[in-house]
Amino acid sequence: MTIKKDVIIIGGGPAGLAAAARLKELGVTDILILEREKLPGGILRQCIHDGFGLTRFKEALSGPEYAARFLDQVGKMDIDYLTDTTVLEIDSNKHVIAVTKEGLLEYQAKAIIMTTGCRERTRGAISIPGTRPAGIYTAGVAQTYVNLKNIMVGKKVVILGSGDIGLIMARRMTLEGAQVLAVLEILPYASGLPRNIEQCLNDYSIPLFLSHTVTNIRGKERLEGITVSRVDERLKPIPGTENDYDCDTLILSVGLIPENELSLMAGVNLDSRTRGPIVDENYQTNIDGIFVAGNALHVHDLVDFVSIEAENLAQAVLAYIQEGSFPQCSIRVETDDQVGYTVPQKVSGQKDITLSMRVRSPLKNCAIQVLQNDQVIKTKKMKKAIPAEMIQMRIKKEELISSEYIKVVVRHD
Amino acid sequence: MDKKSRYTYDVIIIGAGVIGSAIAREMARYNLKIAVLEKELDVCTETSGRNSGVLHAGFNNEPGSLMAKYCVAGCLGFDKVAKELDIPFARTGKVVVGFDEEDKDKLIRLKEQGDRNGVPGLEIIDKERIKELAPHVGGELAMYSPATGILNPFIYTIALAENAHHNGVDFFFDNEVVAIKCLEYYEIKTTQGSYDTKWVINCAGLNADKIARMLGINDYTIYPCRGEYFVLDKKAGQYLKIPAYPVPNLKLGGLGIHLTPTIDGNILIGPSTEYIEERDNYSSTQEIMDLLIKDGGRILPYLKKEFFIRNFSGIRPKLADKNVGGYADFVIEEREEVPFAINLIGIESPGLTSAIPIAKRVIEMVAQKQELKEKQDYDPYRKGILCFNDQTLEKKKELIQQDPNYGEIICRCETITKAEILEAIRNPLGVDTVIGVKNRTRAMMGRCQAGYCETRISEILMQEKSKKEDEIIYARMRGNMFVGKVRD
Amino acid sequence: MIKEFICVLCPNGCELSVELDDNNNISKLEGATCQRGGEYVQQEIFAPQRNIATSVKVVGGNMPLVSVRLSEAIPKEKIFDVMDEIKKIKLEAPVSLGQVIIKNVLGLERDVIATKQVLREQF
Repeated sequence: MTIKKDVIIIGGGPAGLAAAARLKELGVTDILILEREKLPGGILRQCIHDGFGLTRFKEALSGPEYAARFLDQVGKMDIDYLTDTTVLEIDSNKHVIAVTKEGLLEYQAKAIIMTTGCRERTRGAISIPGTRPAGIYTAGVAQTYVNLKNIMVGKKVVILGSGDIGLIMARRMTLEGAQVLAVLEILPYASGLPRNIEQCLNDYSIPLFLSHTVTNIRGKERLEGITVSRVDERLKPIPGTENDYDCDTLILSVGLIPENELSLMAGVNLDSRTRGPIVDENYQTNIDGIFVAGNALHVHDLVDFVSIEAENLAQAVLAYIQEGSFPQCSIRVETDDQVGYTVPQKVSGQKDITLSMRVRSPLKNCAIQVLQNDQVIKTKKMKKAIPAEMIQMRIKKEELISSEYIKVVVRHD
Repeated sequence: MDKKSRYTYDVIIIGAGVIGSAIAREMARYNLKIAVLEKELDVCTETSGRNSGVLHAGFNNEPGSLMAKYCVAGCLGFDKVAKELDIPFARTGKVVVGFDEEDKDKLIRLKEQGDRNGVPGLEIIDKERIKELAPHVGGELAMYSPATGILNPFIYTIALAENAHHNGVDFFFDNEVVAIKCLEYYEIKTTQGSYDTKWVINCAGLNADKIARMLGINDYTIYPCRGEYFVLDKKAGQYLKIPAYPVPNLKLGGLGIHLTPTIDGNILIGPSTEYIEERDNYSSTQEIMDLLIKDGGRILPYLKKEFFIRNFSGIRPKLADKNVGGYADFVIEEREEVPFAINLIGIESPGLTSAIPIAKRVIEMVAQKQELKEKQDYDPYRKGILCFNDQTLEKKKELIQQDPNYGEIICRCETITKAEILEAIRNPLGVDTVIGVKNRTRAMMGRCQAGYCETRISEILMQEKSKKEDEIIYARMRGNMFVGKVRD
Repeated sequence: MIKEFICVLCPNGCELSVELDDNNNISKLEGATCQRGGEYVQQEIFAPQRNIATSVKVVGGNMPLVSVRLSEAIPKEKIFDVMDEIKKIKLEAPVSLGQVIIKNVLGLERDVIATKQVLREQF
């Protein structure tokens, strides 16, 4: 039996919960959140450190507390959600098949909101040479074990990659008595936030080696050690710079990839830069009525922006349900090669928009400019811009001067 | 004293690779008490599980060789075996692609060799036919072999061992043979205990020469020869439906870096051919990774970086050393001076394909010395783990109704349910490693490489086997996943 | 003397450049995008403070650990002492969000508080 729903939200993490709460506020009542875990809250459940909510709630909260704010709202507003429910299939007609212990569920939705988050890049994806023993974990998996499952993964740890979760885990493992020997970053700059370098590494005297990577892994059964090499500007290991570390654990924090396997089933087109869907100003994908927000769309630096994005999305979904369509979005947003990407990738010109973007390498004293017909229509001056931080620029519809494509570029003073 | 009363087993098989498991399964037909001793914690941990998973047709091997004979027989007889053991298998066919005139001559000679070996249906095909059979594969011409197939080597070996076990064969894991006393019978000492037997079957693969030396035979030497692989995402699977090989340079000792679709829809690139010193060094190396990408890209120009999800390597137990190169034939012999001990040495490719015919040959050798009687209750059938994801919607509903554990997805990438994980954990051989679950279910093999499911699988293992955190083993003894609890 | 700091109070992570006189008083501050930058530097010089997040064992709950943090930051050098105190605690479910787990830990006038709700395991 197929159940009809106005909106199905796939994923009950920060994006999904925020979208649901805002939709309900806006008067959309026929909503269902499908969550595959036993409890809602998504990745925040294991992010027990603080620093969440400063933008959205003007308070420093831990991940679980931040999630609780939205969960409370969802509870009070009586929004339906199912946990232990994994979506198996969606299609372009917005037909959803999910599986639970009680049986298969089939839904027909007017709109689907994909808030499926992201997954971690793995050792296989970066092809580290060496053996394949126990003791190699991605940072998020190590975090699940330590913070949710009460399982200690190792005692002598090296972390590859300076992503935020890796930095957070360096501190977390140290607090629990492990020895964190080093954090290695192949790039000449850190990929995590400066604040986390300071309070997770410097506070605990954990060295960060930039332009270094793992070039060999030793150990047949459990990890016994790794070889670390310095890399040149082309990121190739420099012979003669090898240094051996004895360790029982290697934690990888080498990047996040938006999770879009279900969207792909429905025919959603992805952007090769963000690896999330190409969306318009309404967060709608190329498939009519399939929307996406949060880390499934592009990897965010802060959860606050995930919630805000999902709340904006909710506004658009309301319009979609009421009107059934949007104005044509035929103005492409392009970037130069210093700006990695923008979201959204296309707009209508009839609506105020917020462009989210990241720079591809650290910059100082620069300006980000939005151009149309080779004219500057907006400028944001920045003392520093780093890839770890997402940059947002708000553009009012009146600021657009034509229906020509928009280009976002970096200018140096 | 009656000799018979002195020993516990009629036959002890050393090594639970595909050969040992196939011999165990085939011998279990007869009134023999059989045990398999394995140094690792599961079957199929070394060479047997670390290969392309190809059922070879038998055209690569010297006419008249055991390799040619057993490979052709193994290939042609495989449908029946696959059916009995309930294992996935597809006779996909295969192309060996060439790029120039020199390759053409080699392909014609390869076809002639295959014809002489009795390989059915070989033909030389042009570029157009290649495009029909394998639209994304490069090459100017090819030899097409319709009989070649693909299978999952883990599932095959596990199935053989489970069926052997079902018919009364004992399996002892974590039992590395350390000494063999040759009395009127054989006393085999392992790291765990001592086992008496009339017959010893040495299927120790990479360590077969060591076992032979324990038996007093000193003239075999195994030369380990490593082959590295890349595993590609199922998303790449659409580009390749049948194995595509280059024209082999047999001197090198391998078949050349090729591309093979797996039975589950991934693609393998490899293997390389590199003689190494250690028999257990399964490292991947930067040089070979680069080479695989280069050579693989020649055959399949569609390779994208995001397709690469894992590396692995296998080691061939070669009898031909680096200077000789190529393939030495299988050695399957019982030395007069060491009676009742059958040594299988240098069982490299096409060993996987040849396993059943090799097992039958070993049984013949045993039968020459003692009368074998078939058991009345021998059951050649074994049931595999039902794959939820392959079922129709109706069947899925039915399954969840019967067992709610089918309604809990543990591995998201491969859509593996808790019911399948539990069935794998409760396997008849008693294997309880994380990798054991992986190889039995495909959980952890997808694009997230266990990011989602590994925590769940280790948790279920702890519950099911009443194990503590520091008792969960990844793959090998001492390969502990965890050091303990965060808070006691 | 000029000193550099990275403010950890919020995700902006401002790079602060500070000129200090002989008494370690701030004579010039650059790089702060809010007022708290100055306070942070002052504190960082005289008595650096940090909050910590960790877990406490729970028995009989729907999860084995409850996440905790401190009500406010503590002197940096006390972090591992406070960790030792937290490690000693074992709670019985249920635990509510905001529940005080340790009052005035080590006399630092800071509480250890639960940041998660743990329900009693249902059988």
